[in-house]
Amino acid sequence: MSSDYDRPRADTDATACSYTEYETKEHADGEVPVTGKNATGIERDVWAALYEVEDPEMPVSIVDLGLVYGLTIESGTADIEMTLTYSGCPAREIILEEVEAVAESVDDIETAEVHLVWSPDWSMDMVTDQGKESLREFGLSFEQ
Amino acid sequence: MATADTNLGDPGDLDERERQAVEAQLFRIADDEYVQAERYTFWQVRAPTLESDLAVANNSQDELGHARLWYEAIQQFGYTEESLLFESNPEDFQHSTLVELPFKKGDWADAVVRAYLYDVAEDIRLSALENSSYEIIRDRTSTIQGEEDYHVEHAQSWIERMVLDDDAVGRVQAALNRLYPYALTLFEPVGDVESDIEAFGIRTMSLDEMHTAWENRVEEFLTGLNLDVPTDAEVAEHIGRDNNHTDDWAPLFEEMTSSYRNLDRNKATVIMDKDNE
Repeated sequence: MSSDYDRPRADTDATACSYTEYETKEHADGEVPVTGKNATGIERDVWAALYEVEDPEMPVSIVDLGLVYGLTIESGTADIEMTLTYSGCPAREIILEEVEAVAESVDDIETAEVHLVWSPDWSMDMVTDQGKESLREFGLSFEQ
Repeated sequence: MATADTNLGDPGDLDERERQAVEAQLFRIADDEYVQAERYTFWQVRAPTLESDLAVANNSQDELGHARLWYEAIQQFGYTEESLLFESNPEDFQHSTLVELPFKKGDWADAVVRAYLYDVAEDIRLSALENSSYEIIRDRTSTIQGEEDYHVEHAQSWIERMVLDDDAVGRVQAALNRLYPYALTLFEPVGDVESDIEAFGIRTMSLDEMHTAWENRVEEFLTGLNLDVPTDAEVAEHIGRDNNHTDDWAPLFEEMTSSYRNLDRNKATVIMDKDNE
């Protein structure tokens, strides 16, 4: 049985829509983001807790996304410096509250405070290799 | 052109004059972004195609995000979100009257021409702030610039397509004639503080320099599409920057703050606020 309507056929030469460009930027090497690599003691515990926080819209840790720019711990207070992927991020309060909550759940941390910073601005090259792998599994495609 | 050879330091380091100048620069840009975002939302279910609904909603969200960054910088001087937005008066605002005008009913040309005139000015203003002597302004500019590129591109591509159509080109020209005097208000001073903004290097271009850069860019693009750019137009009667607004602003402000008042709120709420769970 034939139909008046021919389904469109895949174009074998087609390439993925190339409009979306992920800009890469020059950042001072090794300054930000920080991931807690080689951290020890209580600092390591806080990093482990931060790793548990995922972006509410993507199953990837905020640490692997490269959003954390700094962590300092002083007499029971954790001060976390971080940025967001987008200035209008609708998940902003959700992420910030969760970050403070998980940090405060660590033994010997009484209070945690997040400070948002906007410089240097976040871009895709802040994402760790592990983060890129998570994003790929999630179905996001970007150049290596 | 002045350059930022000084660093004003943190909010607490500023003397009274410096603080007033920083605040004056911040208020105008925050108010512009906030009101522009609000007006855009009108189109998010009314634009010509689903894609343009999404694009305009996205641009609106960008501008809201930017307004938030600028208002937060103002809050570092001790203001609260409540006093800045929900419990303020319409005459406290200093946005350009371009962004407060309601859209002519069903006139998409109004939306794209307005976006174009505004976004080119925004681009020039950000370039005049990226080397600001005030670090908090400087640091936020780069994030915003990365998100603004698309806005100009979006508006230009719509204008380029609309001028190909006999009916649409007339609407684009009419919108340009109507909006141009209001766009000029973007380059009006808020008062004597203007000279301090330049002298302290908070912004590295004067209003006149920004106006000239904007006019050259807008004229080149639009004239290239055979549109007549009314460069001899006088600035609109109400300029906004001096707190004098058109009759359209008070009702919009009323609408923007109505939920807050009707629900007897006395503080701004945020998603996942612990007090509201």
